[in-house]
Amino acid sequence: MLDALRTIEEEFRAAIDEAGADPERVEAVRVRFLGRKSPLTALMKQLGKLSAEERPAAGQAINQLKKSIQQSIEEAVEKAAAGALEQELQDSSVDVTLPPRSPWRGSQHPVHATRRELERIFRDLGYTIETGPEVEDDFHNFQALNLPPEHPARDAQDTFYLEGDRLLRTHTSPVQIRTMESRRPPIRMVCPGRVYRRDHDATHLPMFHQLEALVVDKGISMAHLKGTMDRVWKTFYGEQVKTRLRPAYFPFVEPGAEYDISCQVCGGEGCRVCKQTGWIELGGAGMVHPAVFEAVGIDPDVYSGWAFGLGIDRIAMMRHGIDDLRLLVENDVRFLSQFPT
Amino acid sequence: MLVSLNWIRSLISCDAETDEISRKLTDRGLTVDAVTRHGEDTVLELDIPANRPDCLGHVGVAREIAAGFGLPAPTPETASPSADGNKMVEIDDLAGCPRFTASVVRGIKVTPSPRWVVDRLEACGLRSVNNVVDASNLVMLETGNPIHFYDLARVQGARLRVRRAEEGERLTTLDDIERELSADMLVIADGGRAVGLAGVMGGAETEIREDTVDVLVEAAYFDPQTVRRTARKLGMHTDASHRFERGADRNGVLAAQHLARRLLTDLAGGKPELELEDLHPEPPAAVQRTLRGSRVATLLGYRPEAAEIKKALEAVGLSPEEAEEGVWSTTIPSWRVDLLREADLVEEVARDLGYDRIPAMRGEPERLPIGSRQRAADQAEERARDLLAHLGFHEAVSYAMIGPGEDQAFVAAETPAPIPLSNPLAEPLSALRRSVLPGLLKALDRNIRRGTRDVRLFEIGHVFHDRSTGLPLEPARLAIVWSGASAPVHWSAPVPDVGLSDMAGVVEAVISGVTRNPAPPRDSQVGIDAFHPAISASWTADDAPVAWAGELHPAVRDRLDLPSGIFIAEIEIGKLAAGRPLPAQYRPIPRFPSPARDLSLVLDAGVRFADIRAAVESVPSPAPSAVDLIDRYAGAPLEEGQVSLTVRLSLHPTERTLTDEETEGYRAKVVQRLEQVGGIRLRD
Ligand SMILES: [Zn+2]
Repeated sequence: MLDALRTIEEEFRAAIDEAGADPERVEAVRVRFLGRKSPLTALMKQLGKLSAEERPAAGQAINQLKKSIQQSIEEAVEKAAAGALEQELQDSSVDVTLPPRSPWRGSQHPVHATRRELERIFRDLGYTIETGPEVEDDFHNFQALNLPPEHPARDAQDTFYLEGDRLLRTHTSPVQIRTMESRRPPIRMVCPGRVYRRDHDATHLPMFHQLEALVVDKGISMAHLKGTMDRVWKTFYGEQVKTRLRPAYFPFVEPGAEYDISCQVCGGEGCRVCKQTGWIELGGAGMVHPAVFEAVGIDPDVYSGWAFGLGIDRIAMMRHGIDDLRLLVENDVRFLSQFPT
Repeated sequence: MLVSLNWIRSLISCDAETDEISRKLTDRGLTVDAVTRHGEDTVLELDIPANRPDCLGHVGVAREIAAGFGLPAPTPETASPSADGNKMVEIDDLAGCPRFTASVVRGIKVTPSPRWVVDRLEACGLRSVNNVVDASNLVMLETGNPIHFYDLARVQGARLRVRRAEEGERLTTLDDIERELSADMLVIADGGRAVGLAGVMGGAETEIREDTVDVLVEAAYFDPQTVRRTARKLGMHTDASHRFERGADRNGVLAAQHLARRLLTDLAGGKPELELEDLHPEPPAAVQRTLRGSRVATLLGYRPEAAEIKKALEAVGLSPEEAEEGVWSTTIPSWRVDLLREADLVEEVARDLGYDRIPAMRGEPERLPIGSRQRAADQAEERARDLLAHLGFHEAVSYAMIGPGEDQAFVAAETPAPIPLSNPLAEPLSALRRSVLPGLLKALDRNIRRGTRDVRLFEIGHVFHDRSTGLPLEPARLAIVWSGASAPVHWSAPVPDVGLSDMAGVVEAVISGVTRNPAPPRDSQVGIDAFHPAISASWTADDAPVAWAGELHPAVRDRLDLPSGIFIAEIEIGKLAAGRPLPAQYRPIPRFPSPARDLSLVLDAGVRFADIRAAVESVPSPAPSAVDLIDRYAGAPLEEGQVSLTVRLSLHPTERTLTDEETEGYRAKVVQRLEQVGGIRLRD
């Protein structure tokens, strides 16, 4: 009996090894060794022929072998299933180097992206964003800014005129005037927008973008201007940037200044971009001229204020390394798509 | 202005290096743009601000340098007018010419100039003409006061009169151009005719010639506005007008006379007559100004020492007297026409002490508002920008100026006429746009010509609608142009080109993205010529159009020489942005199943999807219902013009689960209703 069991076990091990991970052959092995016609079933039937003393031990031996076979078959079935999945996965592999289905990526114009970044910095500092008309009258664009008719400083602002007492604003400063006309101090504002000058060459477009900041209250000084400017440019360019003021003339500020930031290309050492000076001029600044306050009915003996301005296009060009101004208005998709959002 | 350092050193004793001088001038607000060599001389190219005409002469620049280095200021010699002049001049117009000095130098000989004169003039960018003409230029470049020489023999009656021109009067100026004058221009006339444009240019008739012997020297002060208006009206800009219109030194005319007479003597062997006529009937009182130390502190943010303030004012030729503690009173010298107010004196102090002295103060006084909310309009534009960029569109910027009539086909018939520019740069930039589309289409055209087939551009900007009075309206518009593929091209399946449905979808996405509300119903009437009459749509809110989209009209397309298949849209983003959208409000998610039934319908020509939707919506439903289009087919075996639509009816109960009978009953009623519409039948 035990010999017969040993033979069955040996036959089973050989068969199951041979079946491997093939699910059909594993099934055949199961039927052969556990089915109704299996040698184990035949042995069970012979149990009756054994003596009462031998029977329990023989029955136990048969059952043990049956369990062992069952377990081996289960393992073989699992292995077969895993093998089948593996095969399926291998069969379904794709070429991952094929181009994927990419969604389109649009872009924001670099000038607008820069404008937005600057607006955000000022808003975080508590400034309101103000806008005004692009078609202006002489009063708001010139006279209220201490530029009376026939003032020679009007030469610097080649103006596009329209019918009537109207023109295309040459700077965003009229928005300062309109804001001061409509609101009493304290005022803390910036005005970004399109401006126009009758000038068209390699370094000038007839339409460009400015942003000006204005603060008016009691006790505002040039030291506040310096401190704010420092904060704004450090936020925009990083803590390493330095700012400085130089005396300059603009009719609407007194004292007036131009301001520079340390060259971001050479870090102030001097290079081609900054013409070896280590500084890049960004725009005009100064204390609001008393004549401007008088034009909008604010008492210059009670209030003081500072203002400064900048050209957004120029800053966008420096920021993105754009070397040709015309690219900003050509709207070539190959240019625009380099500034994805 | 070109400044010769040799010339400067002849006026003050300054041994500083060029670099130091350059830096000092720039720090004082006279920016040195370039430094060049001219033979033995060094030339500084100075950017003189419009308020500093005193620095349009070497004496003024020397004063600034002297102030910067703490050196004694230059002291130009002046001529003394005779008590009883020889009465050669009359001033008819004191407003235009408040001061006129004249003298005569006899017996000059016109020759080429000596080398040092040629060098100085060339260093300053002028060419030498002859000793006499050069003398007048030297005077202007040294004193900043332009002067004029007349050939006395050609001045009729040997008399001059300053008067307004007669309307239509003619004068040939030194440049040999005959000019027609108007009554608001100021001229110098002799016994018979105008012989010079006051402060702008002399006349050809009385100019210095080879045979000139006696010279009449004019050194006058002309009203800046008069000179500027005259020069501009005649399209002229001369060295003289440049200085006079900024404000010459009214008292400097005597120094100019002195130098002129000396140079005519030294260079041309002339003999000045003793008489010097000085017509100055209303000399202004000396200008007196006050500066408070407290004001300096308020404007600069720091308080300099009293001695520093005094020294700063003295350095630029002022004479401060401390009237009371911390308050100075000073006379303003005649050449500093820019020092009109206390703030101007504060700048003098700041300049002298250096702008680097100003501390950088963080934060403003407490009471300024902190934090600010973005305005609704800006927020709307920003949302539209972000949305379109995420949908694959590129933001463009184009000029607000376009060619005349270029936008005619792109605006509604009732739009006011375009506003022309009075002085355009060029015809294609001569009117203000009323639609953003023409500019964007130009950009699209440029892209296609450069080989880019798929072009998707948008721009947000103002258009200009004139009104009968005042400033025009400037509504904000968003325009979109789209050509080429309707979706990203991929190898897995062909992608159709853009169609109305694509553009309409983007427009509605923008509208609902900006307003946070569904887009208003779509209409087929656009009524703007540039849009294909059949392949276009518009959206109306509150009885006004808020958006229009469609294919570019073939006629317009051909006129612009563009390929077919271009879709355009324009949105009144300003109108949409009028209010800040409310936060989205939560509605409960349905807890009951939503049964759906598909209907396949055949529509005869002329029946639209909107007819189906209207019919469905007119049937009472047991729960909120929806109708969606899930398939559309045209072609065999349908007849020409027919289309087959498969629509999905769905019900979304909120109270309880619907029974099959209820759903079926609803479906039956819808079918019945659709069949009553006419031209719609259920497909078997
Ligand atoms: Zn650099």
